[in-house]
Amino acid sequence: MPRIVSVWLPRWPILRFLAAQVRNPPSREAVDPERPFVLAVTASGGPRIAALNAAAEADGLFAGDLVADARAKAGMLQVRDVAPAADAAALRRLALWATRYTPAVALWEEDNGADGFFLDVTGAAHLFGGEQRLLADLAHRLGGFGLPAHLAAADTPGTAWALARYGEASSSPSPLAGEGRGGGSSDCGTGVPDLPTPTPDPSPQGGGEKNYLPSGREADALAALPIEALRLAPETSTTLRRLGFKRVGALLDKPRAPFAARFATELLRRLDQALGRTSEPLAYVVSPPVYHSLRYLLEPIAAQEAIVAVATRLMKDLVHALVRDGVGARALRLSLYRVDGEVQAIEIGFAMPTRDASHVARLIDLKLERIAGTAEAGMAEAEAFDAGFGFEALGLAVTVAERMDDRQAELAPAHDSGNAERYAALVDTLRQRLGPRSVKRLAPVASHVPERAEAASLAAAATPVWPAPDETRPRPLLLLPHAEPADVMAPVPDGPPCRFQWRGALYDVACAQGPERIAAEWWRHDTPEPTRDYYVVEDKAGHRFWLYREGLYERETASPRWFVHGLFA
Amino acid sequence: MPPTDALPRLLGRPGDRAEVMEELRRLLPRLEGLPREARTLPFALPPLDARLPQGGLAFGVLHEVAPATEPEMPAAFGFVAAILGRMPPGMLLIVLTPKCTRWGRPHGHGLNRLGLNPARVILVEAADEQQALWAMEEALRSAAPVAVAGVLGTKLDLKTSQRLNLAAGNSGLPCVLLRPAGPAESSAATTRWCVGAAPAARDRFGLVGGWRWRVRLERCRNGRVGEWLMEFDHAAHRFSLAAALADPALSRGASPQPSLARSG
Repeated sequence: MPRIVSVWLPRWPILRFLAAQVRNPPSREAVDPERPFVLAVTASGGPRIAALNAAAEADGLFAGDLVADARAKAGMLQVRDVAPAADAAALRRLALWATRYTPAVALWEEDNGADGFFLDVTGAAHLFGGEQRLLADLAHRLGGFGLPAHLAAADTPGTAWALARYGEASSSPSPLAGEGRGGGSSDCGTGVPDLPTPTPDPSPQGGGEKNYLPSGREADALAALPIEALRLAPETSTTLRRLGFKRVGALLDKPRAPFAARFATELLRRLDQALGRTSEPLAYVVSPPVYHSLRYLLEPIAAQEAIVAVATRLMKDLVHALVRDGVGARALRLSLYRVDGEVQAIEIGFAMPTRDASHVARLIDLKLERIAGTAEAGMAEAEAFDAGFGFEALGLAVTVAERMDDRQAELAPAHDSGNAERYAALVDTLRQRLGPRSVKRLAPVASHVPERAEAASLAAAATPVWPAPDETRPRPLLLLPHAEPADVMAPVPDGPPCRFQWRGALYDVACAQGPERIAAEWWRHDTPEPTRDYYVVEDKAGHRFWLYREGLYERETASPRWFVHGLFA
Repeated sequence: MPPTDALPRLLGRPGDRAEVMEELRRLLPRLEGLPREARTLPFALPPLDARLPQGGLAFGVLHEVAPATEPEMPAAFGFVAAILGRMPPGMLLIVLTPKCTRWGRPHGHGLNRLGLNPARVILVEAADEQQALWAMEEALRSAAPVAVAGVLGTKLDLKTSQRLNLAAGNSGLPCVLLRPAGPAESSAATTRWCVGAAPAARDRFGLVGGWRWRVRLERCRNGRVGEWLMEFDHAAHRFSLAAALADPALSRGASPQPSLARSG
């Protein structure tokens, strides 16, 4: 059975709002976290409360109340608009941070409340000395960020969710009242991942409640919980309560058929998911890699050389697994876990599968250099990468692995095999420094339209096969990105040009060869494109141009226009 | 024996003057650190190859090509592409800069018609001159392609050309640099070519028979300079020398194989 850890962050929108307020002080009056404060969402009948802080709850307000009623109940109520997108983005960043425990982290969907996340810690818990320790460490670090979290570990996401949300420790109506962390009342903690100020050494007590459920005891654990713990739609739970079902235990030993008839599939599906009778797929924030290696550092690092050195060691750790499975890495992701909870990711692609740690190190070095270069140039990409107070952990993941045949180390190496490797390494190096789209090969495309007759493929692609050149169709050596209009004098409207002006220079045509008529691809456009008549034109000095006349005279247009499309050698 | 020891002995010896010259020709490249048995790419044109020190374009050094005037850039690029097409089998790397794409991008079908199989070509588009030079040096150092060409938008200073020359020498690969038109500056290039457009050869029907360029060897270390009207036969990958005829009409009806002529 998998082991799932569920993390619930009570009052997430409130905490995120207050944290953002500390980072970017608002122009108008700041919210005082000690006084009643609610976030409102526009709903039927006017704005309603979406989230509220402890002080507001103490005044008898509930989520879902009309803001107008709430103002009457609580004096001096502070109301702000809820920002679901910002909440989700911040939660995603926190989930990325949590990939330091396991690469498989999934956010809570909207029907789960969207204020927490799951960690699939199957096979990862022993790295932290067992699940209990992992939960303690997670709670401790979240507490350091000022996030009082409720944690639970169970075999299924459904049970873990239920325990985190409605477990014994958090069943009290005011969850924050029971918090044991230092300075518990200031729920505007200073270390939420939004904030640049880290709290590297939080109080050892940490925040959060922990529920640990051994395997196979889902039914016992769920029996005592309210039926809302099954993640049901509000109407369903209201109906169930009206029918007299208040606890999950009351549902467990009942016959299934009447429930299926009454509640369609929802109730039974949720029940089965919680009990592990059906699987519940999780949508992970990052796709879990095939091979993964992680290193926690005693001291945070920020220097480029240090990052490269650690990455090299991580790659060396991975090599054994790659050799064992006979594969090489085609794509890598280096995750840098910043002290304050931000996660920076560097993606690296390879032209050929590789296991070479020094090659990986060089590419990472080049990538970091490139990022640093854009930082100096003040470009937007630089803002995304910032060492801040340093990185406390580095993870290297093989996101794409590809079969890589073992080769005998020959005493007299075959010439071409080494060359293919060198070529792949060169392409990787150039792409890291110059950008992924900078290295290209040209591949032919079956089209008569010159600008469509070739495509730039990535250099890693298979070798394109070019047909033998057609002697009857001259093609220019250099093709202009866009055909440029030219002023052409032609003795007859549908004849070859005798003089033309292009880019401010006048050319006397000594010799024109053509036309080669190329019709537009009618199946590509709704409105027919005009036909082109191409001429190879040479001026008196020997400059050679590829000109075309757009439109057939008197059939498609009355005044054909001329363009320069390419230049011959 | 180090060549420096051989020189005084040779010069002190009374003997045949031609013999001394021959010996000097043999020794000078060694003094300059060129590999003695350097591979070369001959043009297969005796009058031209005779002027190049090793009987062809030497590998492992930098060659510089410039158009005579700015609008003759396509002709100069054609000359470079024709040389690249004659290189031994393997990948060819062409580094482009944004400035040089003013005259368009290399067109696969056009390269194909010039006898350069586009499947052999890797195009590298650098964001600026600095990156282009870095990419060229990196490619030379990796020794993965068989030749490296660069189309630059600015002139090259002496130091950069020395770096490229050194990188080419270490890997034994030829490096061809196409730089913009303008007065030449001092550089470490072994040869410097100036390419101008010339009216194409035409067959008896007035159709283009072969591209022609006015090629001037402006500078050649240990060789002699010269100027030729060159024609390239893309089907045979062969250069030939064309009679310098001002009026292409006169060349009509001439034999398909232009007679070898020498000028300059």
